[in-house]
Amino acid sequence: MLFSDTLHTALEGLKRNRMRSLLTTLGIIIGVGSVVLMVSIGTSFQRYILDQVETFSGDTFEVNAKGMEQVGKDINTITFGDVEAIRNLSTVKNIAPAIFVTERVQYGTKQIAPYIFGTTKELFANWSMKIGEGRLLTDADVKGAASVAVLGPQAAEDLFENQNPLGKRITIGSRKFTVVGILEEIGSPLASQLESIVYVPFTVAKAMMGRTAYVDYISLQSTGDNEMTELDITTLLRQRHNIENPDNDPDKDDFIARSFAQATEIIGTVTMSITLFLGLIASISLLVGGVGIMNIMLVSVTERTREIGLRKAVGARGRDILLQFLFEAVCLTLLGGIIGLMGGVVLGFVLVLVAAKFLGTIHYTLSLWAVVASLATSIGIGLAFGIFPARKAAQLTPIQALGYE
Amino acid sequence: MSTPKHIPLIETKKLCKSYFNDDLETPVLFDIDLVIERGEFVAIMGPSGSGKSTLMHILGFLDHHTKGQFLFQGEPATKMDEDTLAKIRATRVSFVFQAFNLLPRTTVFQNVLLPLLYHPTIPAAEREGRVQRAIEAVGLSERSTYLSNQLSGGQKQRVAIARALVTQPEVIFADEPTGNLDSASGTHVMAALQALHRAGHTIILVTHEQSTAEHAERILKIYDGKITDDLRSFKRRHAKDGITIEK
Repeated sequence: MLFSDTLHTALEGLKRNRMRSLLTTLGIIIGVGSVVLMVSIGTSFQRYILDQVETFSGDTFEVNAKGMEQVGKDINTITFGDVEAIRNLSTVKNIAPAIFVTERVQYGTKQIAPYIFGTTKELFANWSMKIGEGRLLTDADVKGAASVAVLGPQAAEDLFENQNPLGKRITIGSRKFTVVGILEEIGSPLASQLESIVYVPFTVAKAMMGRTAYVDYISLQSTGDNEMTELDITTLLRQRHNIENPDNDPDKDDFIARSFAQATEIIGTVTMSITLFLGLIASISLLVGGVGIMNIMLVSVTERTREIGLRKAVGARGRDILLQFLFEAVCLTLLGGIIGLMGGVVLGFVLVLVAAKFLGTIHYTLSLWAVVASLATSIGIGLAFGIFPARKAAQLTPIQALGYE
Repeated sequence: MSTPKHIPLIETKKLCKSYFNDDLETPVLFDIDLVIERGEFVAIMGPSGSGKSTLMHILGFLDHHTKGQFLFQGEPATKMDEDTLAKIRATRVSFVFQAFNLLPRTTVFQNVLLPLLYHPTIPAAEREGRVQRAIEAVGLSERSTYLSNQLSGGQKQRVAIARALVTQPEVIFADEPTGNLDSASGTHVMAALQALHRAGHTIILVTHEQSTAEHAERILKIYDGKITDDLRSFKRRHAKDGITIEK
């Protein structure tokens, strides 16, 4: 029997039982639809999160004292000497130390409590932050301990609402500052914390916080090889802090040195794991759909025993019958797969559109592999769950199948 | 110079058939010796349970015998593998069943087309013409697009006959072809089988009715699994309905 005839015969068989065929595929439609939906939503959000993170250059490193996130706690592991020593490394450029000022910021009667970074101009370059209005901090501001401040766009809005902050005098703690610049919006909800930061010269923060030895944070960029930079910094700081750590156990260090590329990689891995996990859960319904196909195909074989007998009586070989029933199962699952794929894409697209209303820019992402994998899985399920009923059909002798005693 | 040995179309020697249920043997046919020549119209006649259908199934390669010999054109059936048997069913024999066995919810055309799908040598381009000629031969051209369930019993059996002749097989087996029909439809069906016989086909008819068997030119009587009589039909009936089938 020709391949095209077998395919045609299988399709005719399905057409004769349209409603049942459609209901049989429902399990696969729901299964593939769920997998595609989960995976596409997962990848869309993964892309979204990575896009936000990748706003920062992959070459950017940060060195924290451990426990830095506990604002207000006096952390004293990274010294001015460390900053200068790191600055002298050949694998490092654009070093920007920072001291956090824990004070309130006031303009008129309006008061906010943002993060206040005492830093240098290099920080803006490292974080890919651009000036919106006015100017950034300069070396002269740092050198002369000028009472000037640059505001993140959110901080500017919180403090000044509709007024132009440029040139206005704000109060930080008990000291007056002139607003000299407002940063451009990053436009990402993930970066909203960054947009609320107020920046003052490093020397000013140092004086305000009475620091003589320690910084809270260092931002810097690698000159090329991130791994080499990380190794240089880690080796240097362990040496300076007298830390013996031949096993490279991060728990033994009193600092954390990591690149944004590493952070991006970690986020990518985590979000991918979540996507795969969701896909895996959804694929359970695919399995259930497959069992449904097998069940219906078995019923179909029993119901069509006389037809099988007739086909054998007019010359069909066992493999013709096997292929016919296998094709029927594969056609059912492939059809279900295509409908499920389309349904999953449409539903995912709509959900992402809705999410975009709340999150801003988020693009629907569906990788080609997900499409190929879902269709291949559909065919695989058809083959796997169709083979048993098809073999059962093929093994019937003509006389058994024709229903004779 | 010796003349070539004559080889009959069908020959059985001491052919036996038993059914087995676990260790329990139920013999159905005993030592059947039979020769059927090309172009014969043979009726196998006997009461219900006599083994006539079983014999037809063995001769039509639908079932296997358990002892003795069955030779088709001199070739022993026991030496044929499943693919060879399928090929013989596709090309050299065909069947008309009592219950018609048409594909449900399928058109007359598609039902008649069915054997051609499994025929190893007839090219796809020839199929349509062959199907149309077969449908025309049984007088159902006007109904070729009808679904099988829209036909009367007689029409269904004529579709089955068209399906049987579409591959131009050497032997057509008909198992109680008039069993489910009224007498007028039965006459049409027998006329069609006689026309097929005149066109050169070998016809093997299984029936329990004397009147139906009398349409054949030879009647084999079977009783309790044994052939009890092998007779020429002296008062052969001729069913007339104007059907002419060309080979």
